[in-house]
Amino acid sequence: MSTNPLLNITALSQSFGGLKALDSVTMAISPGEIVSLIGPNGAGKTTLFNVLTGVYKGTSGQIRFQERPIRGLAPHQIVPLGMARTFQNIRLFTNMTALENAMVGRHTQSKNDLLWSLLRNKTFYRQETEIEIEAKKCLATVGILTSANLIARNLSYGDQRRLEIARALATKPKLLILDEPSAGMNPRESQKLMELIRHLKNQGLTILLIEHHMRLVMGISDRIIVLDHGVKIAEGTPQEVAHNTKVIEAYLGKNAAH
Amino acid sequence: MNFFNSQLSTLNPQLPKWLPLGLLLAVLLIFPIIIEGTSYAYLSRMAGLVGLYALLALGLNFTLGYVGLFDLGYIAFYAIGAYTAAILSINGYSFLASTFAAIVVSVFVRLLVGVTILRLRGDYLAIVTMGFGEITRIVFNNWDSLTNGPKGLPSVGESIRPVKILGMTLVTNTHYYYLIAASVILTILVSQRLENSRLGRAWVAIREDEVAAELTGLAVARLKLGAFVISAVFAGLAGSIFAHWERFVTPESFVFWESILLISMIVTGGMGSIRGVILGAVLLGGVPQLLQAALVGSRFIDYRYFFFGLVLVLAVLFRPQGLWPSKRRQVEILETEYVN
Ligand SMILES: Nc1ncnc2c1ncn2[C@@H]1O[C@H](COP(=O)(O)OP(=O)(O)OP(=O)(O)O)[C@@H](O)[C@H]1O
Ligand SMILES: [Mg+2]
Repeated sequence: MSTNPLLNITALSQSFGGLKALDSVTMAISPGEIVSLIGPNGAGKTTLFNVLTGVYKGTSGQIRFQERPIRGLAPHQIVPLGMARTFQNIRLFTNMTALENAMVGRHTQSKNDLLWSLLRNKTFYRQETEIEIEAKKCLATVGILTSANLIARNLSYGDQRRLEIARALATKPKLLILDEPSAGMNPRESQKLMELIRHLKNQGLTILLIEHHMRLVMGISDRIIVLDHGVKIAEGTPQEVAHNTKVIEAYLGKNAAH
Repeated sequence: MNFFNSQLSTLNPQLPKWLPLGLLLAVLLIFPIIIEGTSYAYLSRMAGLVGLYALLALGLNFTLGYVGLFDLGYIAFYAIGAYTAAILSINGYSFLASTFAAIVVSVFVRLLVGVTILRLRGDYLAIVTMGFGEITRIVFNNWDSLTNGPKGLPSVGESIRPVKILGMTLVTNTHYYYLIAASVILTILVSQRLENSRLGRAWVAIREDEVAAELTGLAVARLKLGAFVISAVFAGLAGSIFAHWERFVTPESFVFWESILLISMIVTGGMGSIRGVILGAVLLGGVPQLLQAALVGSRFIDYRYFFFGLVLVLAVLFRPQGLWPSKRRQVEILETEYVN
């Protein structure tokens, strides 16, 4: 890799009591890549996301985002650096409208404070307008602008997943982290989702993706990283990984155990 | 929803939208003058008390309504405001100065408490705030040298002077009614402006999903503390008005029941809904007093809290979203009906 990686993870571990959910994981992501993280259930994929975004602090190791060490920062400190995520189990602000959800995503990109909000000065209105316009752009990007004024919980399942992406996009991330974005979607919806992800990449975003759906993963990823029991067991292009014996064992072994 | 609207408009084709609200405001504005000197004059005092409840409930709405923090000790900050104002007034300070001090002290104590306890979640927060509320009352009850203990302030020979503001001295219940009404209007304005802003959206987002909020870049701890502290402004203000109006404060006014009452007002009215919270204050703050006035001398007087409790239970059972929920929640309800 010639360019400086956007994200650089070195020997990252995360333990929960005796369980090593992440065991000395090392990986890097270059700007503009789509990297998929795969692995059997309980492999530590979501845990990796949680450490990256500051939910867990990591037990040891290093995370550098744009050269800057970020392990141990609070989530709200990491977001403005340019990292945003979605969740495996949808977490929206369910009683707010789709638009309001995306507007909350603009929080770090605006600074209307208490005083301005009370005084309702020009700056306040200018910022509110900007927040709304940017939020609408994000809704449009994911294709749910027509549902802007619907309450989030009343959106279809697929649109809720899209809204999560819109909310993340509203924070103006450089790295977008998606935890099983196609979970629960029908084949057509997942296909459209992959088109969206490709579109985002073309807009210059870097994407780290957890995905169980193998065909989608193979189709979209520049690179795939495989985790098993918290250990990185393989890494490479979709073809390389598909033929890697360790990977086949990890999946088949898991199947055989059932 | 369309069906709803078109029905309404065919029923009242000629009524402008602002009319009901305008009429209500006009009545609220002039009724104390009309009833002054009649046998209904006690209604002004009652309305003033309801107004104080509305002020407090709107204040608590910042934490409980918007952010969803279960604060069972809010009344303590009302007490702190009332005692601060009483002590200053006794020592010769003006209404404005004592009120300013009451707000500052309430806010400051709230800040200290908030920094310490806001990292606690849900039920723990409820228990600790409840404890703080009781501790505050007990301190006021026992700190004789400052608060004159259970006998309350002022002590014999001292007095809290009535409010002097804009060259007027407020003495009658009607005067205080207008002072309180002005404060409530101010609080509504502040609530509206904050609710419909970046800050207000952030608060509601935290109520909806704290984890998602933090991971969307909201500094959850600081935002919670902000709402917690802002709510103390209104407790301090209400406390000072109360102290000057009654010209007498005792720890008995600040019992746990009052905190529960405020929470009930918000929950029955609609969490985070300004109009709902006010409706809650009117119903739960006003109706028991009206019942008391209407039933006094009859054998039903003992049942008034029974009726009150029954209304509360029914309201929450049949309208869990609140009697007059915010648009957010109302849309949700209409949409759900539409979908089904
Ligand atoms: N907060 C926690 N406390 C204790 N154990 C945890 C915690 N979070 C995750 N784990 C454990 O870490 C391991 C990895 O979990 P993780 O959620 O990262 O798996 P995953 O790869 O995302 O799996 P899936 O595909 O099912 O989502 C699991 O054994 C899980 O039980
Ligand atoms: Mg997972």
